[in-house]
Amino acid sequence: MTLMIKFGLSAIASQFGKKGWLGLNRRASVRPMQRIYFIIALATGPLASAVDFERDIYPIFEEHCIECHGPDKQKSEFRIDQRSRVLRGGDSGIPGIVPGNPVESFLIEVLKDPDPEFRMPSEADPLSSDQIELIEAWITEGSEWPGQMDVVVEEVSSDHWSFQPVNRAESPVTAEQAIDAFLLEKLDEAGLSPNPAADSRSLIRRVSIVLTGLPPVPERVRAFQKAYAANPSASYSDLVDELLASSHFGERWGQHWLDVIRWAETNGSESNLYRKNAWVYRDYVVRAFNDDKPYDQFIREQIAGDSMDAGEATGFLVSGSHVPPQSVGREETAIRQARADRMDEIVQTVGASMVGMTMGCARCHNHKFDPITISDYYSMTGIFQDIEFGGRRPEYSEDHPKRQKAAPLWEAIAEQRKILKSLGNWEEDWGGYRELYFDSVKTRKIRISFQTPNAKIDELEVFGDKERQKNLALASNGATVDGPIEMFGDVRTNFAYANDGEYGAFGLQLKAPKKSDEKPWVVVSFDGPQEINRLRLSSNREYYYEVDYQSVEFPMGFSNYRLEVENEAGDWVEVASISKINTANKNQPKRAAAIAKIATVAEKLAEVGPQVSFVGRFVEPVVTRVLSRGSPESPRNEVMPAAPMILAGDLGLSSDSTGSERRVQFADWVASSENPLTARVMVNRIWHHVFGMGIVPTTSDFGKAGALPSHPELLDWLAAEFVEPSTSGGEPWSVKALIRLIVMSDAFRQSSQPNDAGLAADAGSSLLWRFPPRRVEAEVIRDAVLLASGSLDDSIGGRGYRIHNAKKTYSQWEVVNNYGPETWRRMIYQERMRRVDDNMFTAFDFPDCGQVRAKRPISTTPLQALNLLNSKFVQEQADRLAERSIKDSADDDLEAQIRRSFQLIFNRDPDDEELAASIEVVKESDLSLVCRSLINSNEFAFLP
Amino acid sequence: MDNLAEHISSHGRALLNRRDFLRQSGMAMGGIGLTQLLAQDGLLASDNLTVSGKTPIRPQIDPNNPYTPRASHFPAAAKQVLVIYCPGAVSHVDTFDYKPELTRFHGKKPPGIPQVTFEGPTGNIAKPFWDFRPRGKSGKMVSDLLPHLGGMVDDFSFFHSLNTQTSAHPQGENFFNTGFTMEGFPSFGGWVTYALGTENQELPAFVAINDPRGMARSGKNNFGNGFLPAAYQGTDFNAKNPPSNLARPNRYSPTDDKRTVDLLNRLNSKHLEGYPDDADLAGRIASYELAGKMQVSVPDVMGLSHEPESIHKEYGTDSGSNTKREYAKNCILARRLVEKGVRVVQLFNGSDPSGGNGITNWDSHNEILKTHAMQAEIMDQPTAALIHDLKRRGLLDQTLVVWCTEFGRMPFLQANGTGRDHNPDAFTCFLAGAGVKKGFSYGESDEFGFKAAVDPTSVYDFNATVLRLLGLDHERLTYYHNGLERRLTNVHGQVVKEVMA
Repeated sequence: MTLMIKFGLSAIASQFGKKGWLGLNRRASVRPMQRIYFIIALATGPLASAVDFERDIYPIFEEHCIECHGPDKQKSEFRIDQRSRVLRGGDSGIPGIVPGNPVESFLIEVLKDPDPEFRMPSEADPLSSDQIELIEAWITEGSEWPGQMDVVVEEVSSDHWSFQPVNRAESPVTAEQAIDAFLLEKLDEAGLSPNPAADSRSLIRRVSIVLTGLPPVPERVRAFQKAYAANPSASYSDLVDELLASSHFGERWGQHWLDVIRWAETNGSESNLYRKNAWVYRDYVVRAFNDDKPYDQFIREQIAGDSMDAGEATGFLVSGSHVPPQSVGREETAIRQARADRMDEIVQTVGASMVGMTMGCARCHNHKFDPITISDYYSMTGIFQDIEFGGRRPEYSEDHPKRQKAAPLWEAIAEQRKILKSLGNWEEDWGGYRELYFDSVKTRKIRISFQTPNAKIDELEVFGDKERQKNLALASNGATVDGPIEMFGDVRTNFAYANDGEYGAFGLQLKAPKKSDEKPWVVVSFDGPQEINRLRLSSNREYYYEVDYQSVEFPMGFSNYRLEVENEAGDWVEVASISKINTANKNQPKRAAAIAKIATVAEKLAEVGPQVSFVGRFVEPVVTRVLSRGSPESPRNEVMPAAPMILAGDLGLSSDSTGSERRVQFADWVASSENPLTARVMVNRIWHHVFGMGIVPTTSDFGKAGALPSHPELLDWLAAEFVEPSTSGGEPWSVKALIRLIVMSDAFRQSSQPNDAGLAADAGSSLLWRFPPRRVEAEVIRDAVLLASGSLDDSIGGRGYRIHNAKKTYSQWEVVNNYGPETWRRMIYQERMRRVDDNMFTAFDFPDCGQVRAKRPISTTPLQALNLLNSKFVQEQADRLAERSIKDSADDDLEAQIRRSFQLIFNRDPDDEELAASIEVVKESDLSLVCRSLINSNEFAFLP
Repeated sequence: MDNLAEHISSHGRALLNRRDFLRQSGMAMGGIGLTQLLAQDGLLASDNLTVSGKTPIRPQIDPNNPYTPRASHFPAAAKQVLVIYCPGAVSHVDTFDYKPELTRFHGKKPPGIPQVTFEGPTGNIAKPFWDFRPRGKSGKMVSDLLPHLGGMVDDFSFFHSLNTQTSAHPQGENFFNTGFTMEGFPSFGGWVTYALGTENQELPAFVAINDPRGMARSGKNNFGNGFLPAAYQGTDFNAKNPPSNLARPNRYSPTDDKRTVDLLNRLNSKHLEGYPDDADLAGRIASYELAGKMQVSVPDVMGLSHEPESIHKEYGTDSGSNTKREYAKNCILARRLVEKGVRVVQLFNGSDPSGGNGITNWDSHNEILKTHAMQAEIMDQPTAALIHDLKRRGLLDQTLVVWCTEFGRMPFLQANGTGRDHNPDAFTCFLAGAGVKKGFSYGESDEFGFKAAVDPTSVYDFNATVLRLLGLDHERLTYYHNGLERRLTNVHGQVVKEVMA
């Protein structure tokens, strides 16, 4: 029907001269519906000749455009001499012309752009307004282009390798031998042969660090060496199983995942505030790897865990940095830009970690290298329209320990409320807000009158029993807030802040004039009469729930108040008064006891129950539009929530789909075994963490700008094996099974020693003629020092340890103590502060969590040396290592003490020369100094 | 078939296409493995073009020493760069950008003034809080707020038409110093040391001298390495605080240190026997030697007591507020670092605003008359002395000086206020020294200093120009990260050749 109207109109339109069209067209741009009436109205007017493409339009193109956008050159991938190409548009991703609609046609936009940087023709005078009007008229008339009307706009296609289905190559050998077979083929081609097996000490050190991030203890090394001598294969296989079952496995592999998504516990930006309880996501990730959660399930939960009883997993989506509203400022444009930036962070997270695509490039124009259009980018933001950076109580499964612990506490509270209900009105203090309970009353309006001159309200909520969770005072539910405008305590405040659904950011601030008896008050008018029985008030709930470690507290910014409702006669009737409640509490011990009991239980609940955690909060999705040149000030056509079209990304979603539905559908698309990228990206990532380099070296970019796989068949074989294991009983998407397969290979077990032929042909060892040695990560150094000195507290999970100060909102985190006993946990539990130098391991390429970090660079700097030589951490740990070595050895047996230190750091004894040199140092100084050297050595810092 | 396609929804069409896609690609791929396909693809990532279609110039970095001096892309006079960064946003209309119209419209609210800016509602136009007068031979109008710098205008090239992308400080600092409003991108100093290495191997290649009051709002992001190797982060110290962990702890004697290092070298030599010619291992051994040298050279360069009294007097370490005295010492340190050949020195004049607006930096939302005066007292004399001292020693011939701030301030007051709000659309910075035109001004803001009007210059353009003055092509100085050849100037920036001598 729509189409017919359109065609009909074009036909009518084409009978009009250009003059008649233009005035009309400007008005028509305002509201499409109006256009129809105008056209019909004008259809009775005098007829004039239509715009003729060949006579009127093409000469303009030829003179001003074709040189850069024609057969010879297609600047910005735009070509103006073919109708289909003009329809499709260029890099901007926006159609050059939309027949019948000059307003939506990018061609017109660039011709008229006031900014010479963007205006076309480039570096030339703009077209005359007559010329532009002519082109507009031509577009309005349907962009008639003789001879080319039937040419279809080509679908985007790609023959890029990573977009093709995974193709499992025939392997003549068993799954266990397949990796080595693929590698050998390439080595043969290069005339290289693999190294012999590594010695057993190097092997156990290597596999322990790769799998758990911790070196083995000397006793385990000795036992392994003995078993290995008797039966290398079985003993190694047992060792691998033991390590995979260790709960430290999840810490190591969890950290790899957190790196990629630059997860941190602060916002970044100016205030860099702490994200309260964000660590529940870190624990989720560690647990997922330890439990060997199938990778497809891991994906689904992180994107849509709220509907899968794994609410904390959505911490994934808000892992990037964001600028909180206070720092965004109050300009509408800045607020829109900040929201667009937050969506971009989400798209980057998902793109880099799971899809292996750098979507961000398509934010302003079509991707330069990959078939990702600007529409694809905004369609993907459409998936996450309901996500906002903030906290909520995560959806936990019923058997989640937090819920188990909370259930009886809620019962206890209900019991007390029953008592209170029989005794009148009461108020509960929930820390972040106060809640007033009163008898149900039906009214259109309520009035809150404060008893002191100041009141700050970030949110005011009213509830009834009909829909217990529906906030009837919310603006989007039709309510309005009003009050004495002359009492605004700040020029920037506004009544709307009290019921905008936003906690914290900007509150309503009222202040009574000095020497006046008047006090602040507000009136809330509902959308019609409502049955109400609860009022919830807060001053800065955001800070209470989402921020921690502030050196200043944020008490409630309002005093006792009276609550009145408007009766049918239009009179105000008091329903509750906080001071009367307080008096009643004093006079009635039963009331006071019940209130006290609720307060105690509430406090307990806040500790053991599900807490508001920084894992994202939900907002109503709005219609998603393409933002021309990435600017929120230039919204264009509506797009549906979808994955990239080149990857069959239509998910059947629309702007009406719920937020949860969008994410569930998208998660299914990512986690599909048919998605050619998901499995490839993950197996490559795992390979990278095992060997120090990926089969595709650009581990988060499988697009055209990324590197090609060094072993494509192997990559596909691994991806296929990951999704559909060929071994009997193999679990699909098992990360542990895949890692096991890789570390069981001869390639992993071979020695890392160099040889001339290998170095000459393949210095980077990418063909794996040896196991490539590499400097270990910051965490491995720190954790291994603590382990060796016997200091490591290896408890898993929970709130992290902190090395920083408590601070004011706008000041920097400073390192207070990065060495004391309370920091002797694994480094994954060090509170992750964005862009804060820890004065120790930042120098070791420990990420600043600003941008996604698919792999850490490995650099060598003198600052690393200074930190490892002189920091308090190393001084103290060297002492502790020496003390332990002395304690573990027989009295005064200096050689035994030194041997013990070497064992604890290197898992080996010193040779004669090393022993002699060490003895000399101890005699002249002490064993701690020897330990200082050991901690600084290359052998300790490198994976053998 | 055509008819059918016309009648189905876009969803339906996409689903059809999806099936086609899988079927077609399945057929196409049936016979050939990935290898063949890859062979057709040809290009490797290392041959990527930049977004603007140019080939990257990758510095040849010796893993044994990431700081080895490297050639610039073009011949250039400037070998080193000193950046003086003023966090908080210096008011251009009260310092270097003379706007007589403000006096005419003082107390009025002409049309075109927005209702709301960063901090909220706007007030009336306010004339400059300090009088302007002509300075130097060029007669450049500079206000009485900065008399010392004003006296040196004949050496400067001003940019009066700068504009930025944000009106928030942290994003503004990020944008100016890293080319992106978001965090985690390499800083200017990181890019320069990555490209050029450094001449003096005994001092850090890139030193960030933080304000005596602390770090600026974006903290380490202003001098971080982002995704470049950690070797290219700024080393953070000032006249008062040496780099952390530089000094030998008291408990160890010099002999203890020697014993530690001797034993360490023995352990490392033995380990190296198993990995002959391994560059990573050798590089790490070398880094300990360099650390040892730094333990001598850094305290040496920090030894301001060796400076004659006249210098202290000239810089102002002996007069004014405590902060000024400390900042003046930082300025002497900056000169000493430049003198020793440090490639990039970034000197901060201002910190985080925890002490209140306009107190710890230039963010004068309130009482600009008082607070800007406080900042100017700290900045003016020492900074002018520093530039003058560099000139006197001939160091300006090979050193580029960049004086900058993240944005400007509004020509009008905040509603009912005594200060000026953030202005991202017009602000002033200046260059001086090697390769820079003297006594020159480029671009203009409008009659009120509200928006850039003549030759609008983006921060990208500004950074492209600064890189060009150092002999670097901003379009070819790239680092591959996460799918892109990243640049300081993202995909923008045009060199302003007009300011080049």
